Amino acid sequence: MPIMEHKSMAWRMSVNERKFIETALASDLRVDGRRPFDYRRLNIKFGREDGCSEVQLGETHVMAYVTSELVQPYRDRPNEGILAIFTDFSPMADPSFEAGRPGESAIELGRVIDRGLRESRAVDMESLCVVAGKLVWSIQVDLHIIDNGGNLVDAANVAALAALLTFQRPECTVGGDNGQDIIIHDPKVVEPLPLVIHHLPISVTFAFYNKGDIMVIDPTHKEESVMGGKMTATINSNGDVCAIQKAGGEGVMPSVVMQCIRIASVKAADITSKLKNAVEVYNTERALRKVKRHPSKMAHQVSVADITLEDKQVKDLPRHQAKMACQPYIGSSQDDEPKVDTRTSTNADGNSSGTHADAFVGGPSKWDPYPLRVGTSQVLGTLTVVKEEQVVSDDHRAVECSLDHTTTSSSGTVSVSDAMQKSNTSKSLKDAVKCLLEFFLPVTMDFWMTSVATEYWHFAVVKVIVLCAIRCLCQWLPSKLMKAL
Amino acid sequence: MAPMEVDRADGRTSNQLRPLSCTRNVLHRAHGSARWSQGDTIVLAAVFGPKAGTKKEENPEKASIEVIWKPKTGLIGKVEKEYEMILKRTLQSVCLLTIHPNTTTSVIVQVVGDDDRPELSLIQLEVQMIIKNNSSIIRAFLALRITHVMGLRTPQLLPCAINASCAALADAGIPLKYLAVAICCGLTGSRSVILDPTKIEEKVFSYSCMLYLLVDYFNCLDRGYAACAKISEFLRRSMESQAPSDLTKTT
Repeated sequence: MPIMEHKSMAWRMSVNERKFIETALASDLRVDGRRPFDYRRLNIKFGREDGCSEVQLGETHVMAYVTSELVQPYRDRPNEGILAIFTDFSPMADPSFEAGRPGESAIELGRVIDRGLRESRAVDMESLCVVAGKLVWSIQVDLHIIDNGGNLVDAANVAALAALLTFQRPECTVGGDNGQDIIIHDPKVVEPLPLVIHHLPISVTFAFYNKGDIMVIDPTHKEESVMGGKMTATINSNGDVCAIQKAGGEGVMPSVVMQCIRIASVKAADITSKLKNAVEVYNTERALRKVKRHPSKMAHQVSVADITLEDKQVKDLPRHQAKMACQPYIGSSQDDEPKVDTRTSTNADGNSSGTHADAFVGGPSKWDPYPLRVGTSQVLGTLTVVKEEQVVSDDHRAVECSLDHTTTSSSGTVSVSDAMQKSNTSKSLKDAVKCLLEFFLPVTMDFWMTSVATEYWHFAVVKVIVLCAIRCLCQWLPSKLMKAL
Repeated sequence: MAPMEVDRADGRTSNQLRPLSCTRNVLHRAHGSARWSQGDTIVLAAVFGPKAGTKKEENPEKASIEVIWKPKTGLIGKVEKEYEMILKRTLQSVCLLTIHPNTTTSVIVQVVGDDDRPELSLIQLEVQMIIKNNSSIIRAFLALRITHVMGLRTPQLLPCAINASCAALADAGIPLKYLAVAICCGLTGSRSVILDPTKIEEKVFSYSCMLYLLVDYFNCLDRGYAACAKISEFLRRSMESQAPSDLTKTT
């Protein structure tokens, strides 16, 4: 009866590769070209929700999710919250990882991170207490190892920290009828609270070779399988040593250990700054996202016809897919920006045929309370356009051109000239006043909207008054001249 | 029965899908991997190629497929086991099992994002369909969900996972008969079909009576069929456009 033979299929390094790595290290070279104390590229991304982070350290890929719930506290700590860390060595990370029971290295990793976060008092537990002895917040960090490229501890640690820094728990108050009920407020109604984190413990892993003579930082997967011993130092940016883990392996001199700790403190400061930058970028982006916008009315991406296929949509698929393919991950909302840009540009161009192209947008819609502004801003760009409009509009264009120094509210001027043409027939003073009022009212609205928006309102008011005056003059003067003559 | 226009929370009409995105070869250790996202529902699938040996209850004359479903948070429960079973049966009909007898191919599915609203939804008819390329319907799977008994479930995870797994299998080079795509259709209280429902939408829809007409079911099937044609085209184009960057996977 054939049985599963996974264990025998475990990956083993060949003798040649092993010798190659050892020889290279003896001459201070690493297989991927790094120097012995160089880290691989660290890439921190966040998901759409709070408390969701994805860290890539070279080829190692770790995801962290933070969730919270209200539970009873431990009996010996009635006014402290609970922090639990679950590590999941997913079989997709390494063929030797098995689903189900966590292996030794998984448990060790969980312990190292737990020690760094909880026992060093990095996360404030007392702020998680709601009702002492009865209800506290329990924060659970789920770490998923997706890809094992070596040095899982460091990557997982950064992922856990990034997720905890961006996590926000819902606000809850004690109230209700009897003053004993706990009300958990909806995150959309009441702003959720971030966790209180005092310091950031960063773990730095060293691998030892050749009986402790050679040490490297951040070993890759292949270097890990060749190493003689491993040590992880958890240090924060102040230089405080939070934890040290050296479990078995080759013996090293104490001086080597001290040197490693010194190097680790330098590296920890570096990683802390990277982490803080990434978190800040995410926080600003999240704050921008919280600004309420009108729901997008644009059709979203792939649209299916009722039962039959429409050719139009098939043609749009390559464009849509090309756009989608170059944005595989919606980590930060950087992809929202280009989408909004395309939409405003097509709108400004008045391109109605590009509606299908607009359909690729999924970001927030532009919010323009003064739609007329689009017209004037178009016009603001080119003085010639204004002049052309004036030429076309009316026969008082000489007056218009001389007066119209400001390019604002050309649409306003067009409407003014129209109104003026309409009222050309009236001859008496009363009629003149009536006409003034007649076109003052509709024009004012226009002017008000556009001018206030464009902050040239005082020019507009002056212009209106002068125009009215001139119009009246133009009406009276000919009649007076006639009388005089 | 005239289809009624339903007002959906994110502005889609009843026939519109969320934005699709597919990237292959995202992992370094796995033989094949794909990341499939439909809106906010993101699933990562990894495939480890044929390993020698099968489990005791499997047929040694054929290759067997092992599916491991990893939820986003929490421990593995019955829901995950059910997903694994459905996915396994689907992929067994998609792969050419006779080429590598007595081997096991592992497919690991990790949920990266789901429309995470911890709200219980109301009764809803869910039709999840897995369709071969422009041809027949392999499995139209009816799931009647009653909230307080079954608990929280996101209906659009399974179609997303099926799409991701197929893309990952293709990326790993496992011989397949065809590519399968999946779509989820929901039936609202007003008996109109909506495609690709999100978790929020389930909260809104209610059903007064428990009888589901056969007409509704076939209506669902038709709509889903058309939608799947679209998705399969998208999948095909994405596979053609992405040239494999890392051809060697030795470990």
